[in-house]
Amino acid sequence: MSTTSRDDLRSSNLNPSSQGFTLWSDARTYRVAGQVIGVALVILLIWRLTNNLFSNLDRLNISRNFDFLTQPTNFAIAENWGFDTSLPRWRMLLIGLQNTILAAGGGIVLATILGTIVGIARLSSNWLVSKISTFYVETLRNIPPLVVIIFFSIAVFSSGPFPVFREATELKLPFSDSNWLILSNSRIGFPSFSAERNISAFWLLFAMTFLFAACMWAWRTVKSSKTGVPHRRVQWSLGVFVVLLVLWFFLLNGPYDWSWPSRTENGRRLASGFGTSAAYLSVTLAIAIYTASHIAEIVRGAILAIHKGQGEAATSLSLSSYQRYRFVILPQAFRRIIPNLINQYLNLTKNTSLAVAVGYAELASLTQTSIGNGAPAPQSILLMMCGYLGLSLIVSLIANVVNRSLRLKDR
Amino acid sequence: MLKNKKLITLLCATFALVLFAVACGSDDSDDASLLEEVQDRDSVRCGVRDALAGFAVLGADGSYSGFDVEFCRVVAAGVLGDANKVEFIPLETADRFTALQSGEVDVLIRNTTWTATRDGQEGANFLFTTFYDGQGFIVPADSGITSLEGLQDATICVAQGTTTELNLNAVFSARGINFTPAFFDTNTALQEAYEGGQCESYTGDASSLATYKFTSERDGGPAQYVIPEVISKEPLGPVVADGDTAWAQAVNWSIMATVQAWEFGLNSGNINSYSGDDPNVLNFLGAIDPSIEGLSTDFAVNVVSQVGNYQQIYARTLEPLGLPMAGSANRLWTDGGLLYTPPYR
Repeated sequence: MSTTSRDDLRSSNLNPSSQGFTLWSDARTYRVAGQVIGVALVILLIWRLTNNLFSNLDRLNISRNFDFLTQPTNFAIAENWGFDTSLPRWRMLLIGLQNTILAAGGGIVLATILGTIVGIARLSSNWLVSKISTFYVETLRNIPPLVVIIFFSIAVFSSGPFPVFREATELKLPFSDSNWLILSNSRIGFPSFSAERNISAFWLLFAMTFLFAACMWAWRTVKSSKTGVPHRRVQWSLGVFVVLLVLWFFLLNGPYDWSWPSRTENGRRLASGFGTSAAYLSVTLAIAIYTASHIAEIVRGAILAIHKGQGEAATSLSLSSYQRYRFVILPQAFRRIIPNLINQYLNLTKNTSLAVAVGYAELASLTQTSIGNGAPAPQSILLMMCGYLGLSLIVSLIANVVNRSLRLKDR
Repeated sequence: MLKNKKLITLLCATFALVLFAVACGSDDSDDASLLEEVQDRDSVRCGVRDALAGFAVLGADGSYSGFDVEFCRVVAAGVLGDANKVEFIPLETADRFTALQSGEVDVLIRNTTWTATRDGQEGANFLFTTFYDGQGFIVPADSGITSLEGLQDATICVAQGTTTELNLNAVFSARGINFTPAFFDTNTALQEAYEGGQCESYTGDASSLATYKFTSERDGGPAQYVIPEVISKEPLGPVVADGDTAWAQAVNWSIMATVQAWEFGLNSGNINSYSGDDPNVLNFLGAIDPSIEGLSTDFAVNVVSQVGNYQQIYARTLEPLGLPMAGSANRLWTDGGLLYTPPYR
C-alpha cells in the first residue's frame, strides 16, 4: 500500500462526510466482500465437483453409499492376524490399518536409532566413519523410497541370498535342537513367547511393580532436589523394576516360556515362533533406511547449530567425549531435532503406502484389492484417505506433546 | 478510487477464473454416446494388459500383440473401418474398472472375467465372451504336487484385485485346505516371486498358466506342471461402461463378426473374393443393413479382411504359445464348443 492511499483512507475515515462517505468507498467493505466471495466460490467449486461425481456414479449405476462395508470380504490376506474371510469388509480395512501401523511403527523406531547414529557418526573425527556416513546419507537421500523398497523385495529377498522356505536356514541355539532364527526368502522366523500359566497374576504384579518403580522415581527426584545428592533415578527405578519382575517370574513358576521358531513337517509354514513376511521386512527396512538418511541430517544440523563454545566449555571442564554429548550438546540439540523429526515421521507413515508394490497387506494395498473385487472406488479411496489422515494426526499429536514438554521453558 | 477499481478488477478476474475452472470441471453427463466421440476422435482407446503372453504383450518395438489386442483392432475395424486406429492403454488389474468408469478407455479387453458383482457394482457392461477360461494352479514339476490337496499349508501367489483371489479363498476354505496368499499387482512381480520360490504355487487363468509354462520352459526355465483341476468358470471378454447401448452394440457386433465369419468359412484371405450365393453370407457381407448404429453395412468385411476370423486370431496368437484350440470350449458350437452368435439377418 502506498503512502498516498493510506493517507486517503485515513482522511476518509476521519472525515467521512467531507468526501461523501458511502459503504462502497470503504476499503473494509471490499476486504470482507472479497473473503465472502472467495469462500462462496470454494464452496461452489466443491459442490459442483461433488455433484459431478454423483451424477456420473448414477449414470454408471455405481452405489454411492457405504453398504459394501458390511458385505463379507471373501478374499484371503497374508498378514491376517487370524482374520476370517467371511468377516465384513470394514474389519478387513482395519487389518490393513493395523498392518500400516506395524510397518510405520517399526520404521519409526529403526529410522530414529539408525538416523541418530549416522548423524553423530558424520561429525566423527574418525575419517573412515565420517566418510562412510556421508556416503550413506548422500546416496540414500537421493533415491526414491519406492526404488529402495523394490530393491529390498527383489535383491534382498526374492532373488537374494536366502534359500526358499522349504530349505530355510535354521540357526540353532548352542547345545540345543531349537532354532533361534529361521531365514528364508519369503519369511523370517523369530522366537516369541508362549503363555503358559498364571498370566493374569503376572500382569497384575507387573502393573503394581510399575507403579512402585514410578513412586521410587518420584521419591528420588524429590530427595535430590531437597538434599542435593545425585538422584540416580533411572538406576533406582529400573533396578527395582527388573529385580522384582524376575522375582515374580520365578515365584509364579514361569508364566511365559520361549516359543522357538520351527517349521511344520511339510516345510511350508511356521509351527511355532513368530514369523514376519519378506514383504513386511522389505517395506519396514526400506523406509527406515531411507528415512534414517534424512534424520541423520537433521541430527547433524541440530548438533552443528549448538554454539561451539558449549562444546569447548564442556571440554575445559574435562568432561569426556561421552559426557560432553550426553549432558551438554544432545539435550540442547534435541529441542531443535523434534519439530523436524515430526515431519520425517509423518513422511515415513505416508510412505508405507508404497508397500502396494511388494504386496504387503497394508491399508492402501487392501483398498486396491477391495476395489478390484467389487467395492466402489470413490468411497474406498475416501476411507483410505481418512485412515492416513487419522494416522498422521495421531503421530503429530504425540510428537507435539513431546515437543511441548521438552522445549525451553521461560521461568 | 483508483485502488477500489483495482480491487474490483482483481475480484472480477478471480471470479472469472474460478467460473472457468468450474465450467471446465463440469460433468460429461450430456447423453451423447461414446460412439460419436470415438468417431470424432477417429481412434478407439482400448484398455489392455502389457505382459500377458499370448493375450497382450508390449513388444520391444513399442507395439502390442496378442489375442486381446487383436480384438481391440477388430473393434476399430468395425467402428472406424481401419484396424490400426487403436490407442492401446496398458492398465493394472486394480485400475481397470476405474479407467473404464472414468472414460479413460472406451473398451476394456483385458482378460476380465464376467461376474454378477462386476456387472452390478462396477458399472461394467460385459459383452460377447471371446475366451472361455477357468482358474488353475501351476507348480514346479519337481515339487511332486499333483492335486489341490497337495497344496496344504502352501503359500500361493495370486494377482491382486481379481476374481482369482475370491475363487481361491472359496474353494480352499470349502475343502479345508489351509493356505497363505501372496498377492501382487503386476504379473511380472507375481512370476518373479514364483520363480524365486516365495510361493509353492501360482494361480491364475488356465490359459495364462499354459502360456507361462510354454514360454518359461521354452526359455530354459525349470519344468512346470499345471494341476489338471480347474476350479472356476472364467468367461473373458470385452467390457464397456454401463448405460451406453449404442456403443455397446457396435462393439459387440464387431466382435461377433469374427465368430460368424468363421462359421461361414470366411477368413481374411477369401472374404473379398466370395462368389457364392448363400443369402445368409450375402447378408453378412452387406446385402442387408441391420442399421446398427455406428456400423456400416460392410463392417464385417472390414473386420475379417483386416484382422481375420476368430480361428485365425486364435491360431496366430495363442496356438504358438502352447494353447491348442482342440479340446477347449473355445470352438464353434457346431463343433461342440461354446462360440455361438445370434444369426445375422
